Amino acid sequence: MSGQKSGRIEVTRGAGGGSGGQVVAYLWVAALLAILGFLVIYPVLTLLLGALTDTNPVVEGLSLSHLSITNFLVVLKNPNVAEALFNTLIACAGGTLIAVAIGLLFSWIVVRTNTPFKGFIAAASILPLFAPPLVAGVAWSILGSPKTGLLNTLFKWAGLDWHVDFYSLWGLVFVFGIYYAPYVYMFTSSALRNMDPSLEEAAEISGASAFSTLFTVTFPLIMPAIVSGMLLSFIVMLGIYGVPAVLGAPANINVLTTYIFKLTNWSPPLYNTAAAVAIILMVVTGLLVFLQQKVVSGRSYTTVAGKAFRPRSLDLGGWRWFTFALAMVYLLVVVVLPMLALIVAAFRKFMFIRDAASLFDMRQYSLMHFNSIFDNPLTMRSIYNAVEVGIITAIVGGMLAFAIGYTIHRTRLPGRRTIDVISTVPIAIPGLVIGVAYLWAWIGIPAGLYGTIWILALAFIARFMPDTVKALSTSFLQIHRELEEAAWVCGKGMLGTIGTIVLPLARPGVIASMTLLFVLSIRELGSSLFLYTSNTMVMSVLLLDYYEGGNVGKTAAFSLVQTLLLGVLIGGANWLAKSAAQGNIAQRIR
Amino acid sequence: MYGKFVALAGAASLGLGLMLGGTPSQAEENFGPPELIAAAKAEGKMVLYTANYAEVEQDVIKEFNKRFPEIKVEMVRAPGGQLITRVRTEAAAGKLIADIVDHSDRALMLPLADLFQDYAPPNAADYDPASLVSPKFWPRATVVWSIAYNTELVKDAPKTWKDLTNPQYDKLIGQVFAQSGGTTWTRIMFERQVLGEDYWSKQAATHPILYPSGAPMSDALVRGEIGLGPLLYNAVYPKQKEGAPVKMVFPPEGVPANPYATGVPKTAAHPNAAKLYLNWCLSKEGQTFMIREQGNLTSLKVAPVYPEGFDPKVVKVWYPNFDQYVKLHGDWVADWDKIYGYRQ
Repeated sequence: MSGQKSGRIEVTRGAGGGSGGQVVAYLWVAALLAILGFLVIYPVLTLLLGALTDTNPVVEGLSLSHLSITNFLVVLKNPNVAEALFNTLIACAGGTLIAVAIGLLFSWIVVRTNTPFKGFIAAASILPLFAPPLVAGVAWSILGSPKTGLLNTLFKWAGLDWHVDFYSLWGLVFVFGIYYAPYVYMFTSSALRNMDPSLEEAAEISGASAFSTLFTVTFPLIMPAIVSGMLLSFIVMLGIYGVPAVLGAPANINVLTTYIFKLTNWSPPLYNTAAAVAIILMVVTGLLVFLQQKVVSGRSYTTVAGKAFRPRSLDLGGWRWFTFALAMVYLLVVVVLPMLALIVAAFRKFMFIRDAASLFDMRQYSLMHFNSIFDNPLTMRSIYNAVEVGIITAIVGGMLAFAIGYTIHRTRLPGRRTIDVISTVPIAIPGLVIGVAYLWAWIGIPAGLYGTIWILALAFIARFMPDTVKALSTSFLQIHRELEEAAWVCGKGMLGTIGTIVLPLARPGVIASMTLLFVLSIRELGSSLFLYTSNTMVMSVLLLDYYEGGNVGKTAAFSLVQTLLLGVLIGGANWLAKSAAQGNIAQRIR
Repeated sequence: MYGKFVALAGAASLGLGLMLGGTPSQAEENFGPPELIAAAKAEGKMVLYTANYAEVEQDVIKEFNKRFPEIKVEMVRAPGGQLITRVRTEAAAGKLIADIVDHSDRALMLPLADLFQDYAPPNAADYDPASLVSPKFWPRATVVWSIAYNTELVKDAPKTWKDLTNPQYDKLIGQVFAQSGGTTWTRIMFERQVLGEDYWSKQAATHPILYPSGAPMSDALVRGEIGLGPLLYNAVYPKQKEGAPVKMVFPPEGVPANPYATGVPKTAAHPNAAKLYLNWCLSKEGQTFMIREQGNLTSLKVAPVYPEGFDPKVVKVWYPNFDQYVKLHGDWVADWDKIYGYRQ
């Protein structure tokens, strides 16, 4: 262990060679800190100020004269906030457990077994990522409403005495779990793929069963990936509004995000109280991040070394059809059923379904909702804007995340810990509140950021920086420093080493992160709500408009359009990557 | 003169309008002086901030464009609270993009009156002064409450507000919570002042399901998640027109109505286009469209037409006293929350 530690210090790059290199290094750190200051620190400070006053910092000016902790006291004394916090923790913890179980199971099935149609299962495993939370919520309310749910209608038709109620905390846990499993899957599958199987072979030669090898060797070895995926899925759930808004509201179940949304939506709106609630959410998340750092730090998890290997595949025999069946059940629950629900809602004139016979009555179906959404000029504009913002966010955000991730994990530059901490902060702020913070912070900038597509892109870059940096860090952590050292010994400079060694090896991670960033920014709703203007309307905001406009048909139709578009774009990127002989993006996400 | 004008306009919109497939033809209507119209056309566009539902507003814009196709109306739609924050923040930063701000809560708009310029439509005198809280704000839309029910689920239809306290509708009723905005506040004020101090507790005893706004509630009604409840007529009417299994009644105890507050900011980059749009919306042609196609009422002293099922001889429209509307809000909403068990 001590040898490993000293080896680590030895191979970590210093702050450059001569004094010229040092100046460049300092300038580099200063530049990163300046970017982070603008993207993170400044908006967070305006948010804190908002939580400590009862004024709008832009309207009343930045004044420190009326600071008080009244908002916090009000919030902390309110038993409903405590209840919302409790519900949030139950929903997210339960959801995370399910997500880890599913994510880990499928990464093992896809990477380590001879289950048939693995490529197909791999693609299916990440599909839920494309579904915006609001869409998932709407789909599951159509399926699982205690009164009108299609599942209940079908159970009745089949003469089964079953009944589901998704308007409950357990419904929330279930939907969270199945939709956020891909986060765990993405991290663990790439870790499993890149893991040298010799350690597992050693365990088996020593007499360990396949099962105990899995739990004593394999899973502990990919622990950083499991913890990262777990943490990320938990935190993403913490910030989700769409699912609890649709499933929790009818049963009056509040979580922190829906509570915050209520505060901003009331008449008059209570942003300062919302900011105070958001700070509570930030504290919870901060604790989790700290926990993750504790778990991951102090151990070596390098599993990619300079030695060639092939991931081994376990022969499951007849059981491989069982694992295949599991995959099919997951696919059915997470993709097929919700899609069918959306298709029914999008093509059906009205969602009043008396019984199963009425469900199959074709006279009830038409293109009415599609005609209506494409009749609205905002539809096409929002699609165009969303794609533009998504591309800018993916490219700029991906580059920034690479720069930050490399600086944190591959250098010994002073200030890299600070960079690490600052770049993690946005993860703790719910989208709705970060939107207000960005509006407050950036509207006054003279260059005229407000009203352009860039304010949205910058907000997304900042908001998803932790996700992207964390996703990339897993790739960095896995690349053994001996590879960099080799390039270095061969006379390559830092940039040369990055270009010839790190980038190519981390490329699956980089492409996966950029794709993730693209998908996340197309789906992002909370922070867009305050930053869009008439010219920069994006799809997610228009989708909320359709939902709030009270038309499940149009909401479903537009959801299908959005899902299709994401599918086509990701497929297109995939095809481009393939034709450039760089492999398949879906595979790289795996 | 006035009566003749109304008769002409009415005949034109009822007769000709129907014949021409819903396009009212009212050559007599004054949408503003020729200079304004020319300047508006030269501006070519305007930005509308509204708390109204996007789809509903899109239809108004489309209708406006039938008469003035040269003017492109861009829309930002946000729920009331968010819209006010956006307006205040943008204005403070000197970046208010809106050429028109259209809001359902007059009490929230009033403190912002200084941001707005003087404006009055050509038919200003035709408007009921009770609906105006500031000479700068106009009731572009006036929305009205009704009881809506799902005809497949509720065979014994409700007729009065009192029926919504009937135990036979236990767990079947939906409600929009009091805190949601100006229109709902108007309704609950009406309930307490007109239907009695104990109306809320009797109504709450039927275990209503609470919704954040009328739109998701109207959708829940169509789907059958709830069977009935108070809903803005204009939130259900378009669905009924499309054939959804819903019906609305205007109860005899009275129907609360809420006029919007709409104005043109001093900083408007397209003030002429904005004024022309408002002139049109506030004109008989515009109001008639919103009444007939969208189920609104109007704050015009003499309504050109009424929504389907609305008999002015029977139905009493109830407007809140604006002073009380402002003063009672905090305490009464808190009471409502307590009675309905709505957790804050």
